[in-house]
Amino acid sequence: MREFKSLQFVALFKGLFKRMGVDYEVMMMILRIKLTMDERRVPTVFNEIGKKKEGNQFLKSLWIYGVYSLLLLPFLFIGDNYIFGMSIQFGIILFILMTSMISDFSSVLLDVRDKNVLQTKPIAKKTITVAKTVHILIYMSFVTGAFTALPFVVGIFRHGPVFSLIFLLEIILTMFLVVVLTSLLYLFVLRYFDGERLKDIINYVQIGLSVGLIIGYQVLIRAFEFTDISLSYTFHWWHFLIPPLWYGAPFEMILNGNTGSHMVAFTVLAVLVPILAIFIYSRLMPSFERNLEKLLSDTKARKPSRNLMDGLWSKLLCRSPEERVFFRFSALMMKKEREFKLKTFPNLAMALIFPLLFIFNELRIRSLADISEGNMFLFIYFCNILIPGTIVMLQFSGGYKGGWIFKAAPVVRETAAYSAAIKAFLVKLYFPIFLVVGIVFLGIFSARILPDLAVVLLSAILQSLIMYRILKDIDFPFTRSFEFAQNAGTAQVILMSFIIVVFVGLHFIARSFDYGIYIYLALLAATIFVLWRKTFPENRKFEYNKTAIDA
Amino acid sequence: MESSKDIILSIQNLTMSYGEKNVLNGINLEVAKGQIIGYIGPNGAGKSTTVKIMLGLIDDYEGKIVIFGQDISNGDPSYKRKIGYVPENAEAYDNLTAMEYLVFTGELYGLDSKFAQQQAERLLTQFELEKVRHTRLSSFSKGMKQKVLIISSLLHDPDLLFWDEPLSGLDANSMMVIQEILSQLAAEGKTIFYSSHIMDLVEKISNRIVLLVVGKVVADGSFEELQEKSEEGSLSGIFNQLTGFTEHRQKAAQFVSIVRGDSGDA
Repeated sequence: MREFKSLQFVALFKGLFKRMGVDYEVMMMILRIKLTMDERRVPTVFNEIGKKKEGNQFLKSLWIYGVYSLLLLPFLFIGDNYIFGMSIQFGIILFILMTSMISDFSSVLLDVRDKNVLQTKPIAKKTITVAKTVHILIYMSFVTGAFTALPFVVGIFRHGPVFSLIFLLEIILTMFLVVVLTSLLYLFVLRYFDGERLKDIINYVQIGLSVGLIIGYQVLIRAFEFTDISLSYTFHWWHFLIPPLWYGAPFEMILNGNTGSHMVAFTVLAVLVPILAIFIYSRLMPSFERNLEKLLSDTKARKPSRNLMDGLWSKLLCRSPEERVFFRFSALMMKKEREFKLKTFPNLAMALIFPLLFIFNELRIRSLADISEGNMFLFIYFCNILIPGTIVMLQFSGGYKGGWIFKAAPVVRETAAYSAAIKAFLVKLYFPIFLVVGIVFLGIFSARILPDLAVVLLSAILQSLIMYRILKDIDFPFTRSFEFAQNAGTAQVILMSFIIVVFVGLHFIARSFDYGIYIYLALLAATIFVLWRKTFPENRKFEYNKTAIDA
Repeated sequence: MESSKDIILSIQNLTMSYGEKNVLNGINLEVAKGQIIGYIGPNGAGKSTTVKIMLGLIDDYEGKIVIFGQDISNGDPSYKRKIGYVPENAEAYDNLTAMEYLVFTGELYGLDSKFAQQQAERLLTQFELEKVRHTRLSSFSKGMKQKVLIISSLLHDPDLLFWDEPLSGLDANSMMVIQEILSQLAAEGKTIFYSSHIMDLVEKISNRIVLLVVGKVVADGSFEELQEKSEEGSLSGIFNQLTGFTEHRQKAAQFVSIVRGDSGDA
């Protein structure tokens, strides 16, 4: 086993851990094992050789956070109004860290598997929980580092060393805040529920949190009045509830000398809340581990859930019985696979909210009647943003080991599995969102946009198809471990998200001449028809054999 | 194929290697209808690999495998319709309920969904799992899950069964039920190919025992035939002898002495 650099860093805090009453040596041992395991995660679905990926997959995916951090840079250059720029920056940082924490590290926090290994040994509970927390903190600091390194360096040049010092301190505070707050939230949920119900609730809390963060970000923006070009800030009592403002305040206070009482109060909150949270957390963590046990138990008899609609859709959309089976299976998985929901539902919520939000924002400048004349309905293309990421996610499942069934069963047309999964995705996840946004838009823009909506829908289908085609070595849906979802197809997802712009462009061109939209609609339909046939070919060779055996 | 109508499965010269390491070194086997074959061998002998190859889970093997008269390497999956499989380690889509999982697998084998549902419900009741049939598999104990997987392998009334460690996690009573099910299925003309480490059981229910050691068949015959060849009374004795393992007592003594902290070799 090799020595990890990250552990050498942790070792600097040896005294602190000892004072906390943690068995330092044991904690380091657990961490070393965990980090080694993280490095060795290898896909083992069908025990295929030659497809192994070496090294820590998570660390290799960090570059994407570096790309995201470009988003922060503009806010460093919008004058010396720190409360605005820095609050937004910390809003984004909190958002990114929180989503990463929820979607990538909840499983570490809620891991019950190593209970048997660790808790049966003579180790204090405290040591185990601290080891768990440090394990998460190591990764979170990587994420935080990757995301804030660039703004940090730019910040030194733009605003000087004092700025950077505050920035650095606040980053550390926010990181702790995120990790501890998430844990406390789970702790609270774990206290009152048990078994499968609990897992569902945690799942929805996670999804809700992600969505809440997006909406919270909008609220943050509202805290500022965009009057003319200059930004002014007026304090209201409810601003105390918006953490990003706490973190914007110290900059304003120290660098601009703004010592208004609310600024000082914000700063105190920024420092005090994380420390207080850590204190509560360390007190409650042992009971957290105890309650984790509940995740394993479930004894209640349950009623069957009805899936009449799934059956109907499968008959309508799939021709072969085989494809229908896969359709119903995929629909079930999308409904029941918690990890899948966790990774995709926040995107669904965004796809639902964003188009409406743009209209709402526009309402502050123009009247509804005015908007309804224009081309604003094209914002419905924002719904399609969920497509690339979700198509990628279709490969994964928490129960990926069950994937042997696809190989063991007499599946004649292997591509039917994916064509069904994509159909199920479009029907079960995409369409409901499209429908809601579509109906609202029809209300605003009247029935004149019906052909346009049809174009958007077909673009969505085409985009899903292209996305599937450019993904490499796909086997069956739901047969890979989520451990590899981190960096799966990131490049393709970004590429395919940009392709939406192309679709919007084509749409514009089509609208620019008479009946163009109808021609475009027909072209899209034809392309989908041909491409779908090409992507999911029939397996005529063995279709005959199959009936022979039946007879 | 007329002359060998009763041969359901034939393996010729099967070899398989993971990189440098040879897992299977030329296996030859012919299995006739109605046989219960106990496929035994030490850990890592290649039992599960053989089964996975026959099911098409692994396809970079060498040699020829014919099942129901069809060379399985031709890419036509229809031979799998009459096969039932229980994987080792009870691997399944845990987030589905027992019923959902069973209906899904049944349909994959071409069953009508209503029929699959009915059968699954009736079979689950036999195993006293009717109360938890709408509960997710993830909350099942290993034995309960194993029962569900056994049902899923039988739902489509297959002619050939591959059961990899089918009894792991089951209690003594359930084991007896499964054992009885096996012999009654064989009496119905089903062919059963199963691997296990529980020698007493293999001895009792198999009418043919195939012993695999480092990827080679070293013994093949009924229990009586093996007994004659090896002068050992029990199958575990035969197993020890044929795998070249005779010093279990000595091994144990050494082991215990190390546990107790003695330094020299005992």
